[in-house]
Amino acid sequence: MIKYIVILLDDTSTSFCHYANSKTVQRPMPLQTLKDGIRYAMKENLNIQFVYPEYTLPKEYLEVIDSIDHTDIKPFGVSNKIGSTTLCGSDIVVFNTLEEAVDSQVRSDTTYVVRTDKACLFAGCDALGTILGKVARLNVVITDVQTFTEDDFESYKSLLGRLSEKVERLYVSGRSPQLNLLTDRLLLDQMNNCGAGETTITLAPDGRFYVCPAFYQSAGGYAVGDLEHGLDIKNQQLYRLDHAPVCRNCDAWQCRRCVWINRLTTLEVNTPSHEQCVVAHLERNQAMKLLKRLKTKGFGFDQEIKEIDYLDPFTIRREW
Amino acid sequence: MSMIKEVSSDWERSYKSITFIVTKDCQLACKYCYLVGKNAKERMSWDVAKKTIDYILNNHSFFNEEAVVWDFIGGEPFLEIDLIDKICDYIKTEMFRLCHPWFDNYRFNFSTNGINYNSEKIQSFIKKNITHLSIGITIDGTKRKHDLNRIWKTEDMERGVVPNQSEEKGSYDDVVKNIPLWLEQFPGAGTKVTISSADIPYIKESVLHLYSLGIHEVNINCVFEDVWKEGDDELFENQLMDLADAIIDSGYYQDYACSFFTEHMGKPMDCQMDNQNWCGAGRMLAVDAEGNFYPCTRFAQYSLRSKKAWIIGNVRDGIDKNKLRPFLTLDRCTQSTQECIDCEVASGCAWCQGENYDAADTPTIYQRSTAICKMHKARVRANNYYWNKLYRKLEKEGEREAFENNKPKSNAPKC
Repeated sequence: MIKYIVILLDDTSTSFCHYANSKTVQRPMPLQTLKDGIRYAMKENLNIQFVYPEYTLPKEYLEVIDSIDHTDIKPFGVSNKIGSTTLCGSDIVVFNTLEEAVDSQVRSDTTYVVRTDKACLFAGCDALGTILGKVARLNVVITDVQTFTEDDFESYKSLLGRLSEKVERLYVSGRSPQLNLLTDRLLLDQMNNCGAGETTITLAPDGRFYVCPAFYQSAGGYAVGDLEHGLDIKNQQLYRLDHAPVCRNCDAWQCRRCVWINRLTTLEVNTPSHEQCVVAHLERNQAMKLLKRLKTKGFGFDQEIKEIDYLDPFTIRREW
Repeated sequence: MSMIKEVSSDWERSYKSITFIVTKDCQLACKYCYLVGKNAKERMSWDVAKKTIDYILNNHSFFNEEAVVWDFIGGEPFLEIDLIDKICDYIKTEMFRLCHPWFDNYRFNFSTNGINYNSEKIQSFIKKNITHLSIGITIDGTKRKHDLNRIWKTEDMERGVVPNQSEEKGSYDDVVKNIPLWLEQFPGAGTKVTISSADIPYIKESVLHLYSLGIHEVNINCVFEDVWKEGDDELFENQLMDLADAIIDSGYYQDYACSFFTEHMGKPMDCQMDNQNWCGAGRMLAVDAEGNFYPCTRFAQYSLRSKKAWIIGNVRDGIDKNKLRPFLTLDRCTQSTQECIDCEVASGCAWCQGENYDAADTPTIYQRSTAICKMHKARVRANNYYWNKLYRKLEKEGEREAFENNKPKSNAPKC
C-alpha cells in the first residue's frame, strides 16, 4: 500500500540515494502541478517528502509547500540558505560528497545523508565517525556499490569494523547513535527497505509518477501513471518482498534493496546483484558482532542475529 | 519403442546446452515462426565462434555440467554447414587438447527444416560426427497442414511484400523426400510439430501421417503466443479426442508417442513442494553473430516483438552473472497469477520464458503469459479421455501391467 510520496520540486532536485541525477538543466515543477500533487497526496492520505534543488525556490513555491504537513529533503547548500539561522531548514540534509560533509557545520537534531563513492568512503572512515557523533542520524549512501570488487569487499569490511568501534564508544558514553549501515540492523525485526513502488511513489516535475526518483532522473526509467489518470504500477507485486526470491530468504534487514540498482544490474526490479547482497551482509555481520559486544556491556537488546556462513543468499538458493 | 527409450540417458540430467545462432536466414518463411527479425545479413563469423568456444572450454568452473549439447539453430543452421563443420572440428580438438571433461560427453544437435538434408556437405558432416549427433527435421504433418504454414520465402517477402495465398509455395515435398534417409541415419528421431490457430483441424491427420512415415515420436505443442480465437479450444479438444480414438483403436500406443498425451498432467500443484520453473532459460547459453550471449535464443533481438534483447554478456567480456540471477531464482509461483496458482489442472501447463518476457506489461520475466490457458484446459480434458479409454481397454485385454512396464517414453525437449 502506498503511504509516501516523494515530490521532486525541480529536474535538478538533489539525489538522496544511490542514483546520480543526470538532469542538469533547472526545470521547476509547474506550480499547478505542485498544487495538484499536494491535493493528490491529501486525497490518498500520503505523507509528502519534498526534494529540493540546489537553488532557492521562489516564495510562491514555499507558500504552497507550507500548506501541507511534510518532510523536507534538501542539499546541504540550500539548507543553509533557507530560514533565519545558519543551520536550519530541513528534516533531512544531503551531502553529495564526504568532503562536503567534513567541512560543514551540522545540527544535532537533523538526519544527514552522505552520498559518497567507495574510494572516498574507504579513505574517510575517521571523518564519518566524527560526523556520526554530532548528528541525530547518519545515512551513508554508496553511489557506486555495483562496482564493488573482492578487494572492495575487504576494504568495506574493515571500514565497518572501525565504524562499529566508534558506535560502541558512543553507546558507552551514553549516546544512541544512528548509522544506517550498522545500527538499523540492531533494532529491526523484519525487512525495512526503501519501499519504492510498494509504499512510496515519486511525482516528477513532468506531472508523472515514478516508482522512485531514479526512474525519472536517470536514463532508462519509466513512468507509472500521472496526475491526470492516476497511479498505474504494472506488476506492482514485483516491488513486494514476497515476490523477491532472494530477498524474502534473507535477514540482512537493513539492506536498501534498491530497486533501481536491481534493475540496472540484473534487469529485474526484484532481484539484487551479488554486490548489493554482499555489501548488505558485511553490514549485517558487523552488526551481529557489535550487538554481541554491546550485550556484554549490559545494553539491553531483544534482538538476536545468528551466525551464517554466506555473504550472498543466492549461493544457498537450493536450500530455500 | 526400444530406440525411443535409449535416447534418454542419465547424463542428460546434468548437461549444458550451448546454442550457436549461426545465421538468422532461412529458406522458408513459416507463418507461425516467432523469429520476427530473420535476415540474411547476420551470419556468425569464425572469429566469434572460436572466441565462444575458447571462452566456454576455458571456464570449466562456471560451465561445470557433466556433459554438453552443442546446439545449432538459425534461421536454418545448415545454410552455414561450412562454418558448422569448422566449429565442430575445433570443439573436438580443443576438448581433446584440454583433456576437458566434456570430451566424449558431448553431442551436436540440430533443428533443421530438412530441405538441404541430402546435400553432399551435410551428409559428409553427418558421417563424420554420427556417433555424437542428433538431428531433428521439422515436418508438420500432412502436406496440406505442412504447406499451410511452412512456405518458401520469396524475394518479395524480403522486401516486405506479403504474397497472395495462391502465390505461396509449400515446402512439404522438399522435406518429405529426405525423411527416409533421415530415419535410416537416426532411427529413433522425433519431429517437432507446432500448432497455431489455423492448424487445429489437421492435428489428427497430421500425427497419424507422421506415424505412417515411420516417425515414432511426435513432439507437438501449441504456440505460446496470444493467437487463439474464440472456439479454438473446443475445436482443439475435439481433434485430440479423435486422435486419441485413432491411436488407441489402431494400437499405435504400443510403439508410437505423441506428446499431447502425457499421463501425469492436469493436476493441482503445490507452491512449496512443486514450485520449480518450467523453462530452462538461464541454464542454457546462446550466442549470436555479434558475439552476444543470451539466456536462451528467445531473448535475442530477432526473437522479440516488443522488448529489448536480454544480453547477459559477450565473447569479449564473458558472462555477467548478475544478469543470470533472475533466471536462476525464478520459481513457478512467483511468476504466476493467483488463478494459475489455484488452478485445478495446473500440472503440464507450459510456458516459454522468452514469450513471457515479450508479452509482459513491464520488462520482466516474472509475469507469466496465460494466452495458452484455454488450450491447456482443452488438452487436459482430451488427455484424461485418452488415458481413461486406454487403461480400460488394456484392463479388459489383461495388458495393463505389461503396458505399464514397457510404455513408450517421450523425449520431448523441455526447454
